[in-house]
Amino acid sequence: MIVFDKVNKYYGDFHVLKNINLTINKGEVVVVIGPSGSGKSTLLRCINHLEAITEGSLTVNGISVSDKKTNINKLRREIGMVFQHFHLYPHKTVLQNIILAPMKVLGQTESQAKEIALKYLEKVGIADKAQSYPSQLSGGQQQRVAIARGLAMSPEIMLFDEPTSALDPEMIGEVLDVMKALAHEGMTMVVVTHEMGFAREVADRIVFLDQGQILEEAIPAEFYENPKEERAQLFLSRILNH
Amino acid sequence: MNFSILTNNMDMFLQGFKVTIIASVTALIASLLLGAFIAVLRIAPYKPLNRLGTTYVEFFRNIPLLIITLFVYLVFNFKGITAGTIALTIYTTAFIAEAIRAGILSIPEGQMEAARSSGLTYSQAMRIVILPQAIKVVIPPLGNQFINLVKNSSLVAVIAGGDLMYQADLISARTFRVMDTYILVAMFYLVLTIPLSLGVSYLEKRLAKSN
Repeated sequence: MIVFDKVNKYYGDFHVLKNINLTINKGEVVVVIGPSGSGKSTLLRCINHLEAITEGSLTVNGISVSDKKTNINKLRREIGMVFQHFHLYPHKTVLQNIILAPMKVLGQTESQAKEIALKYLEKVGIADKAQSYPSQLSGGQQQRVAIARGLAMSPEIMLFDEPTSALDPEMIGEVLDVMKALAHEGMTMVVVTHEMGFAREVADRIVFLDQGQILEEAIPAEFYENPKEERAQLFLSRILNH
Repeated sequence: MNFSILTNNMDMFLQGFKVTIIASVTALIASLLLGAFIAVLRIAPYKPLNRLGTTYVEFFRNIPLLIITLFVYLVFNFKGITAGTIALTIYTTAFIAEAIRAGILSIPEGQMEAARSSGLTYSQAMRIVILPQAIKVVIPPLGNQFINLVKNSSLVAVIAGGDLMYQADLISARTFRVMDTYILVAMFYLVLTIPLSLGVSYLEKRLAKSN
């Protein structure tokens, strides 16, 4: 469904992604971990073309992401994205945040879009906040709205870019619970996170990235019990034993 | 100060006042729309457009309004008031574009990313997500530009625009009561600019509250 084939990306002279080969199948939950600055977010952001790749090929559903002929707006309908800092629209209510794209991009009527929005707000557990503004919500609530906003487009893929890193520790659970539920429903998910518990429990596959390279790719049990690469062993020992 | 100047020439003052209001309001609306357009040109993700926008701003911001006014008047042969309003629009647009551009740049990049990643086009994201937020930031500097615009409209007088300043020139030339006339005209300008100032700070407060 998502195929990276010999993908390289440079920021000027800086080689951010090095020869990435990665295939993510439908219904799979892939968790990308690695030290900061290793290119995890860049990798994720290439999938919906928030970042452009420099070399190689990257396709989503067989459609090239970097090809100039590709209608990127159309491709992005299929790919929901959740950001570290939520990026809700502060001048719009929760409900307006969610119905915006379905109305403008999918052409739903307001009543259709509202009905769908409320369904997803219900799902993430904050239907009572539909008329609130984002600034009136806690971080965890805002992130759940952001997830509902992504889901309202009925995407085939959801991308999560460190969705819990900006949250108070108390709020992390509520967001992870929503993501777990989503994973169990069979959503294709690519998640950049430092939440090892989540990765271990939910991921079908762990991708370990260091200095722009995929060093290790394994199922969670294997990766956590018996990491092959020395860098991965070091990384795990640092974050698990503190 | 003798108010007979005012009462004896009331019709001329009022005529000039009306012309000044019409020229100012027309130029204000036009330069707001054009300014927003030029601002978007300057930041659109397409280099030739950026250059076009920058050229406009740097050119018209850096030459005197008087020269633009004379140029439009002499080259296009419009009536004074028409030429004056066009010149005022051309000039003010450059400043408004800069104010709006600064406002747009103050909105976190994540807003555009969130909007684009949901499938909105660049122009939809700009119109629906970015500009409504930017406008709040931009209200105070825009207020300054609007007040400048009203005062700058007095330059229309040099091409017989029939505005307040032009009428004042006529009255003072006829009566030789130069100081009295211009003091009165200053008051007429205050009648326009002070409510404008108050309106801007009212808007500023109201929009701040809605956040």
